Amino acid sequence: MDQVTFVLDVMIPAFQNGLLMTLALVAITAPFGLLIGIGVACGRVYGGKGVSWLMKMYAVFFRGCPLLLLLFILYFGLPSFGIVLSPFVASVLGFIFCNSAYNSEYIRGSMISVKEGQLIAAKALGMTRNQAILNIVLPQALRRSIPGVSNEFIYLIKYSSLAYMITVIELTGASKLIATKYFAYNETFFAVAIVYLALVTITTFGANALEKKYAIPG
Amino acid sequence: MERKIGLLFLAIFLTFGICLCGCTEKPADTSGAVATPETSEISASDDKPTYIVGIDGEYPPYSFINKNGEAEGFDVESVKWVADKMGFNVKIQAMAWDGIIPALQAGKIDMVYSGMTITDERKEVVDFSNPYWIVNQSVATHDDTGLTMDDFNAGKGKVGAQRGTTGAFWVEENLVNGSIISPDMLITYDNFPLVATDLQNKRIDFAIYDRPPMLDAIEGKPLSIIGEIDTGEEYGVAIRKTDPELLETINEGIALLMASPEWDELKQKYEME
Repeated sequence: MDQVTFVLDVMIPAFQNGLLMTLALVAITAPFGLLIGIGVACGRVYGGKGVSWLMKMYAVFFRGCPLLLLLFILYFGLPSFGIVLSPFVASVLGFIFCNSAYNSEYIRGSMISVKEGQLIAAKALGMTRNQAILNIVLPQALRRSIPGVSNEFIYLIKYSSLAYMITVIELTGASKLIATKYFAYNETFFAVAIVYLALVTITTFGANALEKKYAIPG
Repeated sequence: MERKIGLLFLAIFLTFGICLCGCTEKPADTSGAVATPETSEISASDDKPTYIVGIDGEYPPYSFINKNGEAEGFDVESVKWVADKMGFNVKIQAMAWDGIIPALQAGKIDMVYSGMTITDERKEVVDFSNPYWIVNQSVATHDDTGLTMDDFNAGKGKVGAQRGTTGAFWVEENLVNGSIISPDMLITYDNFPLVATDLQNKRIDFAIYDRPPMLDAIEGKPLSIIGEIDTGEEYGVAIRKTDPELLETINEGIALLMASPEWDELKQKYEME
């Protein structure tokens, strides 16, 4: 098989399916990762002692647990407790845990950076504590966490490549399959690296645009 | 302050330095290596050449890493015997199976002696020794399912296989390309123990693998072999195409081994028949 037919008939169709799966994994994980990250960060900064400790443990555990191990536990380990997750669900769950734990740290950092005086001022204006957090702290904190959270999004794109270990055929899995079948390791992995680079580049531009659009004036 | 920065730089340089030393000391450490728990050398005398032998670390009874982290198995003992007889040293290196041929081509290892089936596709990129073993593919299922070989051949269920193995290729050629099952019903894994685990979890209905390691993988589990596919695959030692002398040495060594009483002892020891 010559190079052209290999690229057109084998590589491109395989990559298309793989890319769709990668995008699906990222698209489903990212919103939950962000929302749970915000929740965990709020709990840590503004929660009571118990809540704050729980949220801290959440971050410690999921940041400390290697993602591959987490995926193996979710996929191969849970069936011994009678919970059989599909490969896709197991990967998305693992990614959400990991993504949200890291996001919570970025968001917590930017929450702390909002000065305490603003909360007191908001209360003086008659806001409750929750209203103040929601309307005063979060809008500023989220803007400040865009660089960190988009960085985490880039990681998410790349750690979606671990899903093939639990049989989800995403971009990396698809490339491994054709590489082993046709012994075309260099070509395949080089091509797949370019696809990842393209995804990350698009994300970087998107993040920059977001940062500009939501820059705090003044 | 300046002194602190100086110290910081020193620390960074030291770290890099240590990393670099580590790199030069382990030339056999490849990106494809799953784990590098095992390097064993035989009678290190200086004038003998040392060859690095790539094995699948999870392929009992041919090659596997035992509880002490040492390489063991039918093939591992065979290559050590051949090395002893033919006058070279070996270093056993366990690696990821789906990356073992590129590692051989790249010169990270000098041969693959680990139950590798001789196929036309592989022969295009590497040379093979004379065959030393013949195996068939076996199909296993969970005891609860009551599925039979007829169900397997009719495509009634998901099939699990290790990526890059002849079992996976067989299913693809015969069941997927024959439109008996859709491509997403062939599920591939990194290694066979994961396939066996998922078969036990009932996520897949069948598993396909070479018979001897299959027997080992399903032992003590509620799984059993329901049939064999007579593929008559021959195992050979893979060697770089640019290494014809080594190929000759190995061929000679294997012929000697198969003619010696040790061959039968090995077969008995690993319950090969």
